[in-house]
Formats: sequence, C-alpha cells, structure tokens
Amino acid sequence: MAVRKKNRSKPATEIVSVPDVEEVDAIEEVREAFEAPMLPVRAEPGPTFAGWVARRGLLAAIIFGVLLAPQFVDNVRENMISFALVYVVIGLSINILIGYAGQISLGHQAFVGVGAFTSAYIVSNSHLSFWIGLALAGLTGAGAALLLGLVALRLRGLYLALITLAYGFVAQNSIFNIPALTGGGAGAEAPRPAGFTGNMAFVYLCFIILAVLMYVDWRLVRSKVGRAIFAIRENELAAASFGINVTAYKLIAFVISGVFAGIGGSLFAHRSTVVVSADFNFALALTFVLMVVVGGLGSRVGVFIGSAFFALFPLIFNRFSKYTGLIGALLLLLTLTTFPGGIAQQIAPILRWFGGAPLRGHGKSQVIQSGGAGVRP
Amino acid sequence: MKQFLVLGVINGAVYGLLATGLVLVYKGARVFNFAQAEFGTVAAFFAYWLIEKQHLPYWAGDLLAILGIAIVGFLVERLIVRPLFTAPRVTLLVATAGVALVLIQLQFIIVGANAVQIGPALRGIGVNILDVVVSPQRLLIFGVLVILGLGMGYFFSRTDLGLAVLATSQEPVATELAGIGTRRMSSFIWTFAAVLGGIAGVLLAPTGALFPGFMTITDLLPAFTAAVVGGITSLPGAFLGGLLIGITQGLGEFYFGSSTIVRGAANLLVFAVLVLVLLVRPKGLIGREA
Repeated sequence: MAVRKKNRSKPATEIVSVPDVEEVDAIEEVREAFEAPMLPVRAEPGPTFAGWVARRGLLAAIIFGVLLAPQFVDNVRENMISFALVYVVIGLSINILIGYAGQISLGHQAFVGVGAFTSAYIVSNSHLSFWIGLALAGLTGAGAALLLGLVALRLRGLYLALITLAYGFVAQNSIFNIPALTGGGAGAEAPRPAGFTGNMAFVYLCFIILAVLMYVDWRLVRSKVGRAIFAIRENELAAASFGINVTAYKLIAFVISGVFAGIGGSLFAHRSTVVVSADFNFALALTFVLMVVVGGLGSRVGVFIGSAFFALFPLIFNRFSKYTGLIGALLLLLTLTTFPGGIAQQIAPILRWFGGAPLRGHGKSQVIQSGGAGVRP
Repeated sequence: MKQFLVLGVINGAVYGLLATGLVLVYKGARVFNFAQAEFGTVAAFFAYWLIEKQHLPYWAGDLLAILGIAIVGFLVERLIVRPLFTAPRVTLLVATAGVALVLIQLQFIIVGANAVQIGPALRGIGVNILDVVVSPQRLLIFGVLVILGLGMGYFFSRTDLGLAVLATSQEPVATELAGIGTRRMSSFIWTFAAVLGGIAGVLLAPTGALFPGFMTITDLLPAFTAAVVGGITSLPGAFLGGLLIGITQGLGEFYFGSSTIVRGAANLLVFAVLVLVLLVRPKGLIGREA
C-alpha cells in the first residue's frame, strides 16, 4: 500500500501529530515487515510424499538444466549465456536498491562502470590477479554507491531519480573518460583470468559468482538487516519509531547494492575483455531498471528471469533485427499493464507450488504487492 | 557569446515547452513521463509526412500532426496509464519509458534510420537581435512559447477545467467527492501533455534533421532538469527553468565547448545547476503549486 504523506521534505522532528488511521496502518505494515516472519498457518494438509518428490525433482531438473545448458550450445551461445549471467548479477544489485529499499536508481551504470574499470586497471596496469580485481571492483562499486547513498539520505522520489541520472551521466562522460585510469575513448583492456579464458569456463565462473551472490541475497532477505531495509521501504517514520536506524540501514542497502554492481561490472569487463566508457550510457541504465521491473521488484527468481531475458532477447532474435526492439518494448508494456508485478507475479502460482501449496490461479504475493511502493519518482 | 546566449534562450523555449508537459503529467499522475519528448518526435514525423509527402500547406500539416499526437496521448492514457492507476509509481515510470521505446522503434520501422528534413514554416532572412541573426522559425518558437505560457497561466487559474485539473492533482479523493471524474481528468491531462509535446515537436521540426527519437536524445534530459529547477509542480517555473537551462547550456557551449578534457561540458554544467538548485532550494525556484 502506498502511504500518502504530506510534507515529505520536512525533517522528521517537525511532524508531530496524533497517528491517524493511515499511519496506524503503516505502523502495522512496518511491524509485519520488521518482525520475524511467522510460519503460515496451514489450513489444508501439505503435499503428499509423492508431491514433495515431484516438486523437488522438477526444481532440481530445472536448476541442472540451466547449469548444463552451456554444454549443449555452440561457442557463440556460451558467450551469450555469460552475458545473461552478468546481467542477472546487475539485476540483483538493482533489486536490492529499488525492490528492497525502495530507492530508485537511474544511474546504476555508474556503479557497474566503476567496478569494470577498477577491475580492468588492476589486472592490466597493476598486473595483479583477477580475483584481487574482482574484490576491489566490489569495494569501489560500494564506494560509488555509498556516495550516492549519502545524497539519498537527503532527497527522495523524483529528486533522487534525477540525481542518480545525473550521477550516471557524469560518470560516463567525465570520470570514465580520464585516459590515465580508463584508457580514454580507446578503452581499457581486461583480459580473462587464467583458466577461465574459454567461453565455457567463463560461463561457469559466472555461475559460481552468481550462486554466491544469490546466497548472500537470500541470507540478506532473511536477516535483521533485510527486515529493517523492508521496513524503511514501507515507511521511514514508522520504521524509525521501531528503533530502526534509518540512516545506517539505507546506507547499508546502497553499499550492498554497490558491491553487487561492482562485481557485475568486473565480470562485464572481463567477459568482453575490453571496456570503453561508451558502454555505460543512459540506455544501459534504463535497461537495468526495465529488466528488474519486468522481472518483478523484490523477487529473486523474477529478477533472474527478467534480467536474463533482457540480455538474451536482442541476441537470440537477431534475424528479426528490424522488429526486435519493437517486440521487446511491446512485451514490456503488455507485462506491466496485465501484471504490474512483472514476471514474478505471473509465475507466482508455480513458485507457491514449489513451496508446497496446491497449484492455483494467480494472485498477488506479498513481496510483489509492496515492492517499491515507497518509490515515487 | 551573444550568439550562444540568444540561441540558448531559444533552445530554452523548447525545453520549457517540454518541461510544462512533464509538470502537467507529474501533477496528474505523480510520475516522470519519459515519453514526453517522444510525443514531440512523433508529431514532427506526422508533420513531415503531411507536409513533405502529402503536400499539405504548412499550417494544416502542423494542426493535423498535433491532432494526431493528441489521439496518441489519449490512447497512451487509456491503454497504459489507466491499468496502472494504483500500481507503484516506479512501475508507471518504467511503463512511460516503455511507451517511448515503442514509439522510437515504430519510427525506425516506418521511417527508417536516415534523417529527413522539413522546410521552414517562415521563410525569409533572419532578424537581427543583439547583433545575432535569428531565423524566423526560431523566433516563432519563442513567440509560441510566450503565448502558450500566458494562455496556460490563464487556463489553470481562471477556467473551471483548469481548476479541476489542479484539484485532481492535489486531492484526488476530495475532487472525486466534489463531482469531478478524476479518471476523465487523467485522460485530459495526458492528451493535453501530448499536445504540448506535439507543439514543441512541430515547431522544432524545421530547424534540424529528423531521426527516430531525436527529441528524446537531445531535449529530454534538459527538459527534466528544467522541470525540477522550476519546482516540479509549477508551470511558470517550468518555463523559467527551461530558459535558465537553455542559457546555461549556451554559456557552457561558449566557455567549454571546445574543451577536450571534459566532453559534453554544456550538459555537465546543466547537471551542476540541477545539483546546486536541489541543494540550495530543493523545492525549485518556484516551489508553489500553480
């Protein structure tokens, strides 16, 4: 539920009022988000043993299918898969900001680019190993995000959106063009790490890193930090009244998102082995936001599918190149108008079925409904 | 320098016109309309087709083009905005970006990637302003902006319909109770915004090359900045913001245009103004709803 609030720009201390119905609602929502999730009361018996076998079996088959996919495709397609995986990493990063924390970011290519150039510089100029480059890319990505997070403490909604847009723009046009650091217009070389130079090997490197990040993301959502971030998304004032340190957790959300983006950037750079500032234009930032919203804000599975789709779609449908863009954009509008929760809302019954519920029609899952409700660009 | 200033003011007029459309939509739907500049581009292509291909007179082609874009705006509201009435605003934001993408892609398919041109509406030699020769077409842009600005000021302060739009944007529930259909107002707002974008488009069309998405590429970001600098809810503010951004860009072009250290310095300067305004006066220069 979007809570309407006047005088958003006033500092919290100035707002002194008796809580009205809306505010009580909001407090209730925050309480639900912050307190540990209770086990659902199951009115009907769960699936039978065979039912569980079917669910777990199918789930395992899908995961193995995705993992084994690179074995059955040619060299070019392997490269496409790693491209999709890089996008998924970036999608997860954006999801933390927009989906979990409710902070819009239209300049995410800045974090990704910082990570990409850092990693490229470490590997080609400092001649250190890829792993150090990857770690430092995460760190610098976090630094770049922290800087923006400090701004986000003061601005919100539309103004934040514009500042992030400006941030990405400045990064692309000025910072990423400093010849000493990024090689200027020619770009920086980012050779693949030893042992992962082949396309197939690199795909599995991406898989491993993605798996680690997915695990971190999963633990984040289930932790106190995650619940605090959700509570801030729902209502900052109410969250603060529950003793949540709004400033700190907002910055934590930015930092984690920055780490993910930086790592995504590092993979992005080493996948294509050369990285230029023109890669990180506004169109890319827009694609990042599109893929997460279409995938479904706040849903890990949805973001995975959405990101991979947006990465692969133009590559796979190359032979209809004239119509690719149009079809993609129309699909986007169709998804949004029929299922505002994105792909996650469309596949919600399937996801619930895997969780042990009977297969029923659509509905709105809690995560999707509230996803980004606090974002008012 | 004078030349850059005068051109800046005239470019600013276009930004102002686009920014007014952005403000209007923001007041109505509380969302940033990423498709605003594309309304202009589509109208420009309509005008191109009617004037250059169908050989209609200039005024008829422009009027029909604006009518056409009004229909597009109406359809966008009905098909895209209305189903997302209660959706999170970020979803609607992405949807408007989607509309812009669809329109750009349609232009690529129908018109192709090659740039086309329309002859100017007003021929004749330029007028001398501050020792700078300004083409009649550019003067026309500025004149139309001033007239539209005054007209919209009157519309939103004196007419029932204008007040109803304002009421809808400020307090939808109370407006509904007063017997004003907020959904119908939403249709009106988007149609009107499309018309504003369309006017900017047909005026701008004869001054340069037309290619798919040209207004989104060159004018959308300055227009966003103009809308925010003016205070995102203020129509006069959007006009002023547009002029300010245009002048800033002109000055940036003059002082840093040839700099090789920082590319796109004029645009960076625009963002510097934006950051400065947000820091010093976050509500914009004119933060009042009007």
